[in-house]
Amino acid sequence: MAEVLWHLTKPAENWEHLRDTVFGRYLKGSILLVVGTATLSILFGVSSAWLVACCEFPGRKIFEWALILPFAIPTYIAAYAYFDLIDRLTPLLIWVRVNINQEAMTLLNDTIVYPVTIIVLASVLYPYVYLVARTAFTRQSSQYIESARTLGHGPHSTFWCMALPLARPAIVGGVALVVMETLNDYGAVEHFNIPTFTTGIFRTWLAGGDLPGALRLAACLMTFILLLLVLEKWMRFGARFHKNSQSDRPFQRFPLGQAKAGVAIACCLLPLVIGFILPLSRLVYWAGLTVAKVLDMSFLKLTLNSIGISTAAGLTTVLLALFLAYTAKYFGSRTVRATNRLAILGYAVPGAVIAMGILLVAKQLNSATGWVFTGSLTVLVLAYIIRFLAVAWHPIDSGMEQNCEQLNNASRSLGASTAQSLIQINMPLLCNSLVAAGLFVFVDTMKELPLTLILRPFNFETLSTKTFDLAKQAQIPESSVSALCIIIVSLLPVVWLNRQIRTMEK
Amino acid sequence: MSLLSIQNISKQYTVTDPPALNGMSFDSERGKIVALIGVSGSGKTTLLRIIAGLETPDAGIVVLDDKTLNSSSVFVSPEQRSCGLVFQDYALFPNKTVYQNIVFGKGATDDSVRLKQLIEMAGIGGLEQRFPHEISGGQQQRVALVRALATRPKLLLLDEPLSHLDPDLKDSVRTELLNLFRETETTTLFVSHDIDDAMAIADRIVVMRDGKTEQVGQPSEIYKRPINSHVARLFGKTNFIPAGLIRGAHHVFEDEKGKGMIAPIRPHQWRIIEGATDDSNAFRGKVKSMINRGAHLEVALETEHLNLTLHLNAKTSIQVGSLLTVGCSLTE
Repeated sequence: MAEVLWHLTKPAENWEHLRDTVFGRYLKGSILLVVGTATLSILFGVSSAWLVACCEFPGRKIFEWALILPFAIPTYIAAYAYFDLIDRLTPLLIWVRVNINQEAMTLLNDTIVYPVTIIVLASVLYPYVYLVARTAFTRQSSQYIESARTLGHGPHSTFWCMALPLARPAIVGGVALVVMETLNDYGAVEHFNIPTFTTGIFRTWLAGGDLPGALRLAACLMTFILLLLVLEKWMRFGARFHKNSQSDRPFQRFPLGQAKAGVAIACCLLPLVIGFILPLSRLVYWAGLTVAKVLDMSFLKLTLNSIGISTAAGLTTVLLALFLAYTAKYFGSRTVRATNRLAILGYAVPGAVIAMGILLVAKQLNSATGWVFTGSLTVLVLAYIIRFLAVAWHPIDSGMEQNCEQLNNASRSLGASTAQSLIQINMPLLCNSLVAAGLFVFVDTMKELPLTLILRPFNFETLSTKTFDLAKQAQIPESSVSALCIIIVSLLPVVWLNRQIRTMEK
Repeated sequence: MSLLSIQNISKQYTVTDPPALNGMSFDSERGKIVALIGVSGSGKTTLLRIIAGLETPDAGIVVLDDKTLNSSSVFVSPEQRSCGLVFQDYALFPNKTVYQNIVFGKGATDDSVRLKQLIEMAGIGGLEQRFPHEISGGQQQRVALVRALATRPKLLLLDEPLSHLDPDLKDSVRTELLNLFRETETTTLFVSHDIDDAMAIADRIVVMRDGKTEQVGQPSEIYKRPINSHVARLFGKTNFIPAGLIRGAHHVFEDEKGKGMIAPIRPHQWRIIEGATDDSNAFRGKVKSMINRGAHLEVALETEHLNLTLHLNAKTSIQVGSLLTVGCSLTE
């Protein structure tokens, strides 16, 4: 990151050209996309979370878990599933050209892609908001909600005056993740042809071969992200007031009458249909048509590539996360804890920026050692570790918080060394967290696109790059088989996550 | 005149668990303070939540001020019940100041003079702009109380109102609570497992066991005349003496295990008898153990037929193993 940020101060040959021609478009595109996706994710996520957590209506229990399912669909696959959405608007564009003029049509064409992309992105990213909001409503606020009711507040004013302000810090956290994912996305924005920083980095580096220019754009994106992180911290200011008021008693939900229940079902169904049911059914249909053509030895090879690289990334990331979390817990000096915080920041950094940073370091290593680091699998795995360390670190750290601290102290007071305590006491107890951490990294690696596209060795294909390549060649139905494979694997952590949350909320 | 009427309320959470409430009934008069007491799991809080409308009973009727709140065909939502509820951990909104918490209730600001009086009466004047985490536990409790009272509820419900306070604070808060209830003439129902709280505050006590009403009465009446050994034990240590061994007992009840009639004698009712005695209620035995409780000495005495617990003057000079003759005072 430092390497990338450093490039803001270095001269770049084509920078002035980039700044004058495309920089404004990238900035505008990124901001529009971020604001739109965040707003729609809040609408989808908070409304469905409130309904599922605090209201009673037919199908509520099914929606409770079903609303997480869009998590399994990567943004670029959702975009491919709706590939023809813009095409279907062609008659409207023609009508505008015929009845108004060419400029109006171009303007409409350039504008219409934003709402379409925003809807597609928000419909698969809203679960970040849904999950934290649901937990905030059920786990943290249940007694406050009951209290508001006994003070004479009905569902409407309870939501606006009490539940929503209380859940705000949690919701901001969820929205921050949506924003990071939006800025990280490459496949969907590339497909809908929206200029963002990420697409800019790709175009400048891969198409233009201009590394300093791409690095500058990456540095701008990074600055943008850092500003957002500061904004998030500021907006979560109220979090320190938050107190867990969970009652161990069942929570009496607001019963909804027939008409309101109908509206509630529609509200929950809408994001679920757009974000999961519709894309999945289209992909299944296309896969049925093309499976015989696609399934061959090369498909097996790229599946094995995906599994191999994801396993390597999963194992190494978990080991490093375990080491970091353990040292932070038991040698808890400020420096160690700060190193931990810094190390897990990688998840906030878009894949394209990490790729640029790694590329830069690898190039320097190439010239320093005489070995070829660029385009090697080692560098790719290293990039995955940087990007997904937080994904592994969080479950391991919270596992340690829950289980191990007292036991570890006990084992050390009985004469065991820290290493013995880790291996004999902590690791067996952390088993579930370690498996979960590994699974998360495995799946995230399998889904990952921008980083893989930039850093993969020559001719190294994975399920995600194959999906992207085929889609880029307008062979969307053919790409559906590999897309479906990714979705099926991605469902595993979604199921696990749902089980965890249900246990936590009981 | 009865303000609250609870009739045959039943509630079972899961088929495998025993019912939380099993045909619970009692009435409460207007302006009175009623304590619901019982061991944990006896259904106290469940009943409180049913009255507040936060849970639905499987069967039974709740009537408040002649309005049916719960029956087989009626359910009035919590926000329309006019029942203020103070939660065990107060549930003050952490993102709102003390004043914002107090005026959050519907109608809380309708009478600003009364609101000001309430704040002054509760002794929380000057804390209005602070956040809940910036005030003490006792102050939080009073804020929660004022918040509930500000809406002028017909019935105030309190869930273990004093359980979070340390013993020093408890006594003063008890007195303040009592004054506040009396001055605002609020009908109050509170749940407690602490007999001292119930004895100090309540006009009437409802003893609950296994989801049913076991005994209802004034505190002193239940203390002196428990209807069975469970109620007697709930109100403190008791010696259960077979009625045949004691003459002139003012209160006896049937033993639950069918061993005949029992006379409950409290440990403080015993006194040492020096020298020979012809008292027919005297027991002689050996001191098995002694615990100095500060204000008194708790002695375990083993007699020929009974094991007695006595509370004797702290200055009594006896040793473990010494022989002692004790008699009991049977005056109420």
